[in-house]
Amino acid sequence: MNKLALITTLGLTLTLAVGCANKSVVRYGDATAVETTDINFGSTDLQKVAAEMTDSLLLSPVVGTLTQNKRPVMFVERLKNKTSEHIDTESITDSISTKLLRSGKFRFVDMGRVEAAREQLKFQHEGGMVDPNKALQFGRQIGAQYMLYGNLSSIVKSNQDKSDVYYKFTLRLMDLESGLVEWADETEIRKTKVKESVGW
Amino acid sequence: MLFKSDSIKEPLGNSIIQMNKHISTNVLVTVLITVLSGCASLQFADIFQGYTSQMKPVKAAQRQGEFVKAQSILGQRSASNGSYVLSLLERARLQFLASDFQASQKNFAQAYVLIEQQRNKAKIQISKGIEKLGAVVSNDNAISYQVPYYEQGMLHSYQALNYLFQHDFEGALVEIRRANLVQENALKAYQDEIYKAESELANSGMSSGSLDGTYPSMAESIGEVKNGFQNAFTFYLSGILYEASGELNDAYIDYKRAIEIYPENHYLQQDVLRLATKLGMQDDLDEFEQRFGSYQSEKSESEGQVVILFEQDIVNSKQDVGLNLPIGRSNRGLKFFSFSLPVYRGALPQHSNLTVSNAGESYESNELVRIQSLAAKDLQDQLPSLLTRQVVRVVAKEQMRQKLSREAGDVGNILASIYNIASERADTRSWSTLPDEVDIVRMNVPTGKQLLQVQVHGQMQNIEVNVQPNRITLINFSAIGNYTGYQSINL
Repeated sequence: MNKLALITTLGLTLTLAVGCANKSVVRYGDATAVETTDINFGSTDLQKVAAEMTDSLLLSPVVGTLTQNKRPVMFVERLKNKTSEHIDTESITDSISTKLLRSGKFRFVDMGRVEAAREQLKFQHEGGMVDPNKALQFGRQIGAQYMLYGNLSSIVKSNQDKSDVYYKFTLRLMDLESGLVEWADETEIRKTKVKESVGW
Repeated sequence: MLFKSDSIKEPLGNSIIQMNKHISTNVLVTVLITVLSGCASLQFADIFQGYTSQMKPVKAAQRQGEFVKAQSILGQRSASNGSYVLSLLERARLQFLASDFQASQKNFAQAYVLIEQQRNKAKIQISKGIEKLGAVVSNDNAISYQVPYYEQGMLHSYQALNYLFQHDFEGALVEIRRANLVQENALKAYQDEIYKAESELANSGMSSGSLDGTYPSMAESIGEVKNGFQNAFTFYLSGILYEASGELNDAYIDYKRAIEIYPENHYLQQDVLRLATKLGMQDDLDEFEQRFGSYQSEKSESEGQVVILFEQDIVNSKQDVGLNLPIGRSNRGLKFFSFSLPVYRGALPQHSNLTVSNAGESYESNELVRIQSLAAKDLQDQLPSLLTRQVVRVVAKEQMRQKLSREAGDVGNILASIYNIASERADTRSWSTLPDEVDIVRMNVPTGKQLLQVQVHGQMQNIEVNVQPNRITLINFSAIGNYTGYQSINL
């Protein structure tokens, strides 16, 4: 019995000691590192999709001619999420439009901020705080010539041993005046997850 | 785990220990208590009180329409509890009924995360082994709750409605796709699982035939459903949403799947005929017209459509049934043991239809899904694996009783027998706040503000809707006990 008590005490002390040493740690990581926490749509997929699409768009000969002597005005319509995951597609379009703006070849109008801009102009004219001679005029904004839109779809399959997900991302550029699709491209991503055989 | 054994708190454990000093019995009891309480996957009440009786007051409050009170009776379970997922489902459903869509969405999402985690776990799980050990010395309530496919389908359907009523159409479609994935997976897993469970049962010394005659037949509850996961409600909801988003081909496929399950549903017949005409599916159209009669489109520019999903009553809870069954042991011949198993008792209750009238025309609701039947069918499919665990358990408990009686005499024998009887509870857990039946009404209504008169259980209720040309207005109408309420949205 004494031996049993001794072993129990020793064991308990050991567990407690190990438990105390196991503190939580906060670290900075690389934002572009490959992330494979689970099989769902993640940061690596987002970065891959955005990078490939902008590269393809900027390198395409058609866009080369479009942007030869001018910087066309674009607006991003939206990405339609046709997958079985709740994905923030605005975040993907944000990445793409930021990269395109950074290239200096395109200019953008932001449809999501029209109301805020209207509020500000209204304040300048009717608020009584701004010198009316210096207030910005209504109706001087530049309209978009091109529209960027796309789809994100997925096929999900799984059985007892593994899961497989396939994403297809399609992006298109439409000339708003003529209605012609001037450019389109797609990116595919395939991820598989094999289940571990023994685990907690 | 074993290190915790010096902190036994349960009075039963204390009293047994004081009464005998034999070490092996001590170890046995200690292991028992640690497994039962240490893992915390089980509340003490779960061992001695079934889920059905725990849910009784919740359902009573639900019948009164007091959904907030029902939530507070439901109480909180800790995340390590084996029934945590189930409690999330119950809570989310009550929040949905209380029109608290944001909170409901959060809980359903959490439940989905847990179900996915479970699905992606390793093939052999050590923690599962410990749970099963706990189940061997207590009952099946110690095993963490496996959400059946039909409940997963309902989870995504209600989650889709949650997104819809918060005006997130794309989110709703994501949930619909998830619901379809669940049904596909269910179809794949179905045959495999049943075959495996039956062969395991045969190895344990019984066959599923041994239940015939002793176990109450659930044929009346099951009705005519062919499997426990294909749910026309989910397909129909999916069809409406695809139709509203202009993806008629997807909508048509879903309506066709729904009509395979409910061929006699008048509204489904009209839907497949309408879409087959619109999409020019001539072969399908000929076949459907032969089955359901000819169709002429009655579309007019100044009309919109109203779809009412009509939820009736609450699904029944599982009951505990005690049986005496023989088990064949290889060397000792047959011996009778008493079992308890879950069962759905009684015939399906008959519900009165809902009648909607507008501008002199009236429409009767048609049945779209009987959740009670799905639940009973699912339970029937689970029986072989339930029985296998039950056989292991009664044998183990009997051996424990014999050991205690040898080493602690009559007192040990009596205590063990009392424990065995008291802890022998069937696993009656199931999502108990779901509706019993869902019906539909679909009608063409002139555009503009319209007053629909809904008659249910002899009571009249007015629903005001704003119908837009060629758009669908979706109404989710619930009639539970004395409560009636609805939510509507323009798609």
